[in-house]
Amino acid sequence: MKNIKKVMAALALIAAVAAWFQASESTRRYLVYIGKQVPYLPYRYFI
Amino acid sequence: MVADYDVIVIGAGLGGLTCGSLVAREGLKTLVLEQSDIIGGCCSTFEVDGYKFDVGASIVEVIQPLERFFEMMGGKISDYLDLIPCDPIYSFITDDGKRFSVPTDIDETTELIKRIAPEDVEGWKRFCRVGLEMIEDMMDAVMLSPMNTFSEAMLLAARNPQIMKFAPTFLRTHQGVIRSFYKNPVMIQSAAFQSYFAGAPPELGSGVFGYIALSEHLGIYYPRGGMIGIPNGIAKAGADHGMEVRTDVKVEKLLIENGTATGVRLEDGTTITAKLVVSNLNAQVTYFKLVGPENLPRWAVKAMASYQNSMPCPMIYVGLDKKPDLEAHHTVVTSTLESMNNVWNNYYKLGIIPDTAMSLVCWPTEADPSLAPEGKHILNFLCNAPAPYSPRGDNWDRLKGWYKEAAIKELETYVLPDVRDHIEYIQVSTPLDFERRLLHPEGGIYGLFSDMTTLAMFRPRSRSRAVKNLYLTGSSTHLGGGVPTTVASGIVTSKYIVKDHG
Repeated sequence: MKNIKKVMAALALIAAVAAWFQASESTRRYLVYIGKQVPYLPYRYFI
Repeated sequence: MVADYDVIVIGAGLGGLTCGSLVAREGLKTLVLEQSDIIGGCCSTFEVDGYKFDVGASIVEVIQPLERFFEMMGGKISDYLDLIPCDPIYSFITDDGKRFSVPTDIDETTELIKRIAPEDVEGWKRFCRVGLEMIEDMMDAVMLSPMNTFSEAMLLAARNPQIMKFAPTFLRTHQGVIRSFYKNPVMIQSAAFQSYFAGAPPELGSGVFGYIALSEHLGIYYPRGGMIGIPNGIAKAGADHGMEVRTDVKVEKLLIENGTATGVRLEDGTTITAKLVVSNLNAQVTYFKLVGPENLPRWAVKAMASYQNSMPCPMIYVGLDKKPDLEAHHTVVTSTLESMNNVWNNYYKLGIIPDTAMSLVCWPTEADPSLAPEGKHILNFLCNAPAPYSPRGDNWDRLKGWYKEAAIKELETYVLPDVRDHIEYIQVSTPLDFERRLLHPEGGIYGLFSDMTTLAMFRPRSRSRAVKNLYLTGSSTHLGGGVPTTVASGIVTSKYIVKDHG
């Protein structure tokens, strides 16, 4: 079970890296931008 | 102690006036305080030398929130507003010099697309099908209903299950939505530039704004006498129910006792008390200046500081003694999708004023000749390309003359080759001017930046959680800047107030 979880995590990471390299510059900028905003969401939700 | 008023509204913008009018109709004694000498905020009109110029907003579309507001006030829209339909919607000048006008009628637009982009006719029909269904299904459910919390959003979804299929649209980008319908670059640019109407580039703006290009086909209107006709109509409806509006009154601070808003202190030291206060100002101005960080919990300070403002947008007001060479109320000088994004990434973010052409020329005297002396015309020229609030190594007060000259050259290229000989009046309103006049931080006239992380329950709440009995309305709240959206925000805020205090 532990090994399956590790394999799944590795596959997800590989898929994410592959998707990143296939994405356009524009999409990458969007993902970076959204990534920077995510930590603020819990604060924004309550204001 | 008996309060002077039930409700004080700070700011006579569309959200403030709408909310104030609706709570006045519910029998609450309501006072609206406006720091300027005219009401309306961004949706207003001023007169110089016989010319009437609109401050910012240049048209109204999606008039359902206005219709709903006047119905809620016990009347109908035609009792208060004289709206002139504008057709065609836009005249486009593309980066390669093509010129074409987009009619309001959907069938006529289909014929136009058959000529300029035949490969996108099917995409256009799909855009209409999906978009019209979305607009119809979401108008009441999303635009006019409170959605400050997950539980409110879930309740909305439970009551209106048909809207769930549109939820992914909120998670997509503006350009993502447009590209899912169109392949032709001209079609893409004609529907992508509206992202800047919400203050963001197409690659960051929310997908929901991708449908602005369709909502315009439901009709765009210009109020006779100028955009101030809309706030005047709303204020009149409010006055009919006892709402009081005072102009030239500057609010300095919100009065707070034990974490509860109890009124306002004016610049001259006068205090006015109320059971509750509504702020129509930008949320950062409300929390950081009127409330003060010292009266806020740390999480609230962190939340407010995390928001960016939408882009500033310098405007040039021009009075001409000759008819301009234009075909529609709005002429858009547009550019490719790539340039629209590059102008943000390679200019705006670096503090450089872009030299690329992406502008909106508004010709209000086409719809209403009474705005200028007989035989003369007005142009409101909006440099829609984002211009930085702090140009690198300079400031807007010094750049005003240079910017005016750049604008005249653009008008010579696209509007009237001899425009210089026919200008009777010209004035530039820079981001600094907008900040001083409208109290929008950094001149961001579209309120807070709009993307998927700042919409719905992630935008400042209409009912404040940080200060009891403080309510917010206007472009800082859900759904952001624009005439229909700010009117809708006023309706939503009034619903909270009536529920809490009615």
